[in-house]
Amino acid sequence: VLCHRLVYLHVFIMHCQSNAQKLLRERLCHQKLPDRPVGLDSQYKHLLELLRRTAVHGESNSILIVDPRGSGKTMVRSIKRCTPLLMTRDKIALKEITRQLHLENVVGDKVFGSFAENLAFLLEALKKGDKSSSRPVLFVLDEFDLFAHHKNQTLLYNLLDVSQSAQTPVAVVGLTCRLDVLELLEKRVKSRFSHRQIHLFSSLSFSQYVDVVRAQLSLPPDFPDPKFSDEWNHSKLCEEKSVEEILKRHFNASKDFCALHSLLFLAVSRVSVSRSTLREADLLEASRLISADSKANVLHGENLETDFYYRHDFSISSL
Amino acid sequence: MSRYITRLRMRRAYKWNGRPVSKDRKLKRQYYESMSISVEGKTEDVTVSLGQYILIEGDDDDNPFVAQLLKLYTDDSGKKKTAVVQWFVRMCEVPQNKRKLLGRDPHPQEIFFYQDRSCDNEVDGETILGAVQIEYVPVEDPFPKGKSKGILFVKLLWDTKSFRALNPELMQPPQSSKSPPPSSHGTQTRALPTPDLSVMKRAMSGILTRGSMSTGKMSSSEAESLHSASKLSAAKALSAKRRSRAVSGPHVRKKLDLCSPSKNMTRDDVLGEILDEHTEKTLTSKLNTSPTGRISISIRLTRLNLNEEECVSPLSSHSPDKPRLTAYDKDDATSVFLGVQPIGDDDPEPLISTGRTPRKREATPRSAGLRGLKARTPSRRKDALREPALAALAEEEHEYSPVQTAATPCSKRKSAQLESSRIRKQLNLLGNTVDLQSDGEDGDDDDCFVPAKIDLQSSSDEEEEAKIDSEDELIVKKRRGSGTSRSTEKTRVSARTPRKTPSKKTAPATPRTPRHATPSIPSRSAPAKKPGNVLEEARVSCQKLQETTVLLVDELDLLWTRKQNVMYNLFDWPTRRNARLVVLTIANTMDLPERIMINRVASRLGLTRMSFQPYTFKQLQQIITSRLNRVKAFEEDALQLVSRKVAALSGDARRCLDICRRATEICEHSGSQKNSSGLVGMSHVMEALDEMFSSSYIAAIRCASVQEQLFLRAVIAEFRRLGLEEATFQQVFVQHQALCRVEGLQPVNVSEGLTVCQRLGSCRLLLLEGSRLDLFLRIRLNVSQDDVLFALKAD
Repeated sequence: VLCHRLVYLHVFIMHCQSNAQKLLRERLCHQKLPDRPVGLDSQYKHLLELLRRTAVHGESNSILIVDPRGSGKTMVRSIKRCTPLLMTRDKIALKEITRQLHLENVVGDKVFGSFAENLAFLLEALKKGDKSSSRPVLFVLDEFDLFAHHKNQTLLYNLLDVSQSAQTPVAVVGLTCRLDVLELLEKRVKSRFSHRQIHLFSSLSFSQYVDVVRAQLSLPPDFPDPKFSDEWNHSKLCEEKSVEEILKRHFNASKDFCALHSLLFLAVSRVSVSRSTLREADLLEASRLISADSKANVLHGENLETDFYYRHDFSISSL
Repeated sequence: MSRYITRLRMRRAYKWNGRPVSKDRKLKRQYYESMSISVEGKTEDVTVSLGQYILIEGDDDDNPFVAQLLKLYTDDSGKKKTAVVQWFVRMCEVPQNKRKLLGRDPHPQEIFFYQDRSCDNEVDGETILGAVQIEYVPVEDPFPKGKSKGILFVKLLWDTKSFRALNPELMQPPQSSKSPPPSSHGTQTRALPTPDLSVMKRAMSGILTRGSMSTGKMSSSEAESLHSASKLSAAKALSAKRRSRAVSGPHVRKKLDLCSPSKNMTRDDVLGEILDEHTEKTLTSKLNTSPTGRISISIRLTRLNLNEEECVSPLSSHSPDKPRLTAYDKDDATSVFLGVQPIGDDDPEPLISTGRTPRKREATPRSAGLRGLKARTPSRRKDALREPALAALAEEEHEYSPVQTAATPCSKRKSAQLESSRIRKQLNLLGNTVDLQSDGEDGDDDDCFVPAKIDLQSSSDEEEEAKIDSEDELIVKKRRGSGTSRSTEKTRVSARTPRKTPSKKTAPATPRTPRHATPSIPSRSAPAKKPGNVLEEARVSCQKLQETTVLLVDELDLLWTRKQNVMYNLFDWPTRRNARLVVLTIANTMDLPERIMINRVASRLGLTRMSFQPYTFKQLQQIITSRLNRVKAFEEDALQLVSRKVAALSGDARRCLDICRRATEICEHSGSQKNSSGLVGMSHVMEALDEMFSSSYIAAIRCASVQEQLFLRAVIAEFRRLGLEEATFQQVFVQHQALCRVEGLQPVNVSEGLTVCQRLGSCRLLLLEGSRLDLFLRIRLNVSQDDVLFALKAD
């Protein structure tokens, strides 16, 4: 019986542990976004206010959100978005817009031969409405700067032109990390842009950073086994000196949450049945892996894993 | 367009009464004394004879134009009946802003004797609706009561400037019209309201001086006076003299001396030259009818084609009272997107297919709006334009007023919010119709240019043996946001203003792609059609309809293609025979023709170029005030600040309005906390300005992580060491590691260093080469070193 119970307990712990690990991994890896951004309240409010104005009062607006990588732009894009990495040409972008606006059924069997026809159709659709009757449309252009590289900036010109004229209320939100994005715009486009910019520079302090780490690692209250989650949540991991040192080092390197996530992801992955809680050593090891000099590793012919992470990290930062 | 077709039109038949009383061999005209009009469905014919007051078909069916018949004649073929009239205006035709000059409420049946030389007084005889009774009432006397509704009273005279007492003698038809005109009386036609040459010259000189001056110095009233002939007695004398000399017959035709004007001549030069020549010729009374050695741009702005009234009528059928509504009329979806479209919407064969492609973003509302805005005053002056524009503003007021009333029961805060939202809406660009008064003087130039061109065309077209058409292209250069788009919109309006000019349809064309600038060829239904063919067809139909087309092309530089076919065609069209096309193009490159056009295109380009100056602060201020529409929302100083700041930087009106909008938002937010004046004050504007103009680089550096800041510092240290503005990553990295040690941080390794470097590069604080170069990546700063040091020091 005892043996049986032991096995049962073991299975149970394993279950809990794998559950917790899965949850955290998902959180860290899938970039599940928090409900509200940290330390950006005023900017957040500003944006909401602007969008509200478009939605409620039917004013057209255009705004640009500028910030470095990984500081929360993505949280903005939830409704309609165009990512130019996929849309190398305006043409494809337009099709995507049409799709997202659920206009395919209107387009129906019409096969649009040319870009101009497509654009004209879209503009026509946008134009039909006036301030009062039609529903506001929000365009979120992710990586705004890449749209500016398109030939003649036709798409931008037209979108911003709509936003400047009294047609269907339109809010154009551009997301970019380039501070000099306005210089990329042609004069005619620039003049039509409203020159509102929100900068999401994170003036995060270290204590806030640690708070974020703690929040990221804690299990939610609706975790199936409260005992396990209590134990997990009350570990004093973040207070330990060495951990603090590691975090400080990462904080100094970048305030980017993506980088933090990859660090924590590595640490969480090391949790196993035998060691059911996250320990200091896990973080140390993860940190070592992350900050290892990849070239030195290559020379050592050491582990390929590191190289993979190096590349992963690098591809993120070189975007 | 269905409304035009469904318009109820009574068919009327026109017939001369009796024999022609006189004949003018030179002009091949036969003069008559009266005409009878038989209306379908009515047994009795209406007879109108000289001296009688008549009603003339106009835009508004309820209020047809009123005039006194002075002359009736037919041309050689006997088909066209023309009437020379003296106009009267109704109160509704007087520009809105001038109405209060009357100083009292007008009598509903009151009309005014209209005195304006610039107004054409020849109408198509077939637009006469019938006779009407007019009674002269002396100024002091009250209006007689109990008279029938049909009688109109005339008391005053309206000379487009003011109301004056009417001399009853003016009401008597001139003797010359009663007595058969002598056959040598060819000048009779010249006595039509020719815009005086001297007046035009004066206008030209005015323009010239204005060109050299900075804009905004001349008051609008001064500008207006240039148009008004009534004031200039010298001009009068000159024109009288000219008339008395009986100079050029209608066949006089000027030919363009092709070699003379250089390509870069301005419009003013050209027109001035022509004017000089003309006055010279006329004053020395060298009547020369030979068609050689003359200029194609003839300046007889006098006679317009009489059929044209016919063309106007289908458009004028709907009431112009609601320009705003019509501007957004969706029914007009069949209008053209761009290109040459015949005006006859009810034309049985729409040669240029319309509405098949959905590509007509702006065209529809605007062109529809134009129709709506068609001025009803028989004046070509700007005042006539302002009236509908103001009416539109007023209507906008109306549009919001229900909201306002609905808001009253709500809390005060809510209504304040609505109010500010309304202000913001008004500040939104293009949210309003054109506010013409704020356009400054550049608009005036444009104003007189297009009608002049159009008149030129029509005058040359009226000759049946017309050989060459006058044509011109005008490149309107602009600075961004300096209102070219808007002022051309105005131009489009103004081009339509002269009452009896041929109706024109402008086709605004902002090309999506160069290929699509070929006029509205539905690309799939008629793929093989060359633009030239379309133009040819359009021309045929245009000729039928006797009309001029104004083609407006915005953003000309986007029409650049490798072979420049599009531009070539565009500028080639007006050079064709009978094209009757005015091409107006807009671009914001000052030297566009020199820079991108190949020779054959550049040579087809007209000589006229007009550049738009950026707005001065006064104009900007005016624009904002007119947008606000007398709502007191800004403190005076705040307005000054915005307009001066923007004028100093770019003069971009869009930017100006954006700042104002932002300032109202800021005001709204702060207003909820401490209730000051409720107006947008200096502090709000300053905040908005800071937001818009402040550089984000410094903030970005301040918010960067420690390693990033260190890296920037290392970059600067390395630059100083090298004495260059460029370094490789390797060099900077050595500095970076040293700095880390100095700061007591653990030195970073190469990978981390590169990551930091790339992050800074993605923000464009640093300019980097491709990352494949690794250690030999070259680094430059995108910010000035001082800025970096300042940002880092402030920590």
